[in-house]
Amino acid sequence: MPNVEYRGMNLIVPENDSEWREYLKMAREHRLVMRKCSACGLLRYPPGRGCPWCSTLGWSWQEVSDKGTIHSYEIVAQAIQPGFRDWAPYPVVVVELDEQRGRPTQDEGLRMVGNLVTPDFRPEGEENVAIGQRVRVLFQDLSPEIALPQFTLTGEPPEGRLWRLA
Amino acid sequence: MGLLKDRYCIVGVGETEYSRNSGRSTRAMAVEAIRKAMDDGGLSPKDVDGMLSYHQNDSTPSLIVGPDLGTRLNFWVDMIGGGSSIEALVGIAMGAIEVGMCRTVAIFRSMNGYSELRIGGTGARGAAPVRGQDLATRPYGMSSPGQAFAPSFMRHMCDYGTTSEQVAHVKVAHSKHASQNPKAFYKERVTVGDVLNSRWIVKPLHLLDCCVETDNATCLIVTSAERARDLRPRPISIMGVAGRVSKPRSDFAFAHGPLSRVAGYYAKDIVFPMAGIGPEDVNLTGSYDAFTFTTMLQLEEYGFCKKGEGGAYVSSGIIELGGKRPNNTSGGQLCEGYTHGMNLVIENVRQLRGTADDYCPGWAEGKHSYDYSPGKCRQVKDVEIAMNLGWSRPETGSALILRR
Repeated sequence: MPNVEYRGMNLIVPENDSEWREYLKMAREHRLVMRKCSACGLLRYPPGRGCPWCSTLGWSWQEVSDKGTIHSYEIVAQAIQPGFRDWAPYPVVVVELDEQRGRPTQDEGLRMVGNLVTPDFRPEGEENVAIGQRVRVLFQDLSPEIALPQFTLTGEPPEGRLWRLA
Repeated sequence: MGLLKDRYCIVGVGETEYSRNSGRSTRAMAVEAIRKAMDDGGLSPKDVDGMLSYHQNDSTPSLIVGPDLGTRLNFWVDMIGGGSSIEALVGIAMGAIEVGMCRTVAIFRSMNGYSELRIGGTGARGAAPVRGQDLATRPYGMSSPGQAFAPSFMRHMCDYGTTSEQVAHVKVAHSKHASQNPKAFYKERVTVGDVLNSRWIVKPLHLLDCCVETDNATCLIVTSAERARDLRPRPISIMGVAGRVSKPRSDFAFAHGPLSRVAGYYAKDIVFPMAGIGPEDVNLTGSYDAFTFTTMLQLEEYGFCKKGEGGAYVSSGIIELGGKRPNNTSGGQLCEGYTHGMNLVIENVRQLRGTADDYCPGWAEGKHSYDYSPGKCRQVKDVEIAMNLGWSRPETGSALILRR
């Protein structure tokens, strides 16, 4: 798999990348997949080698639904990476997917980091970013072989009270 | 209680100037800082036979620095790491001496953190290729320490009602301390308004919520209590140490636990029992201030206040000179200089000796006015026990308890 240039960064996903290569390939097919432990059945993200809960090495890919809730966020005002300068201010969100919430302990869940974007992949306005907002995955194609999962607002009613930095 | 409690000491400390234009190599700076720490402890090159450093591929290794000091090393390790490394290395030095690999260890950190490889992540770091686990964060414009840690603070604000104004008091306190410190890079006192009116870097962090970036080398020297007895300065005893204690799912910190929970939650159960004390016995803290809120989150986890009440604790005056338990009396990394934690330990050693190098004419003999107005004294009265709370990331931290 060739390297991909995105926002001035070189994303390197070589053939021997046992963790990320297939994950990003399936993202290019617009499928969000998680590793599922063959023993305890728990899903994990990012795609790690062994099960963090039972240490079993056996796993298989499982497709998950593309919905979740913003668990925390930040608004980057001063971009550090040169390719993000024309994008700032932009939101980075921590999203908790609907699958496996509160498991295996109440403080865990399938959480991912992404940008909150408009359907045409521009940074979502800060006034629309809040903890509790419902989101879904939007795949951003970067090459014929790689896509990045991003998040966009679903318009569903929020989960609990919305909270945003005043 | 720990097997090695009070059996090892810190016997020498030293540092270079904190600047943004050192104009020299990390090798030259390391030699100056180590030489000063050796002089401070009354140690000759023959006395130092162990060397430890930490770096981020931005420094000079022990094998090169050692001979510049006339030493022959029986033990050395240059460890990759930033914050939380120094406390871990103090523990490693104790172990190396205990098993007989060496007798006395100099630990250094030398970095051109502003003029060469910038610690805030701009420049070469920001443009680096992305591979492996970084694919989970950096393609989304989350790469600097501030960007990586901010969601932990945001969630704390959401869950506990903590405010920007409350944590701004950390900067206010540390700037007050820096105004009594001739070495500090930023010596000017700031107000809560100054912090809140400074520009946003990554919300919820303002510019003045972030530490300073500087060029500097720092060093401290560890030896056994037995050898320390023959040395010149008052030896400072190591009561307890915890190194790089980590949360579960350290592969991806967001995966586990309340986001506002940091590694101190686990480290406290190692360091306090080892020292045989609790937080109420600590007179002085050095809670790592990469950002204002990192100081707060750690003070909470170690039990200096209840979880969720860190905002009230840091804005109460307790952490200021003259308060019940001052934090980072040198001005810390928000004001004195950024060293990946070493200057916070050096300051606690000087405080425990009673020789904080402030503007009191007699500081070197331990004569202090205890007048905490600008440009005066920064020595805390009657310090018996000081503690460092080292931060690497939300998921990893270290701790060190010292007594005089």
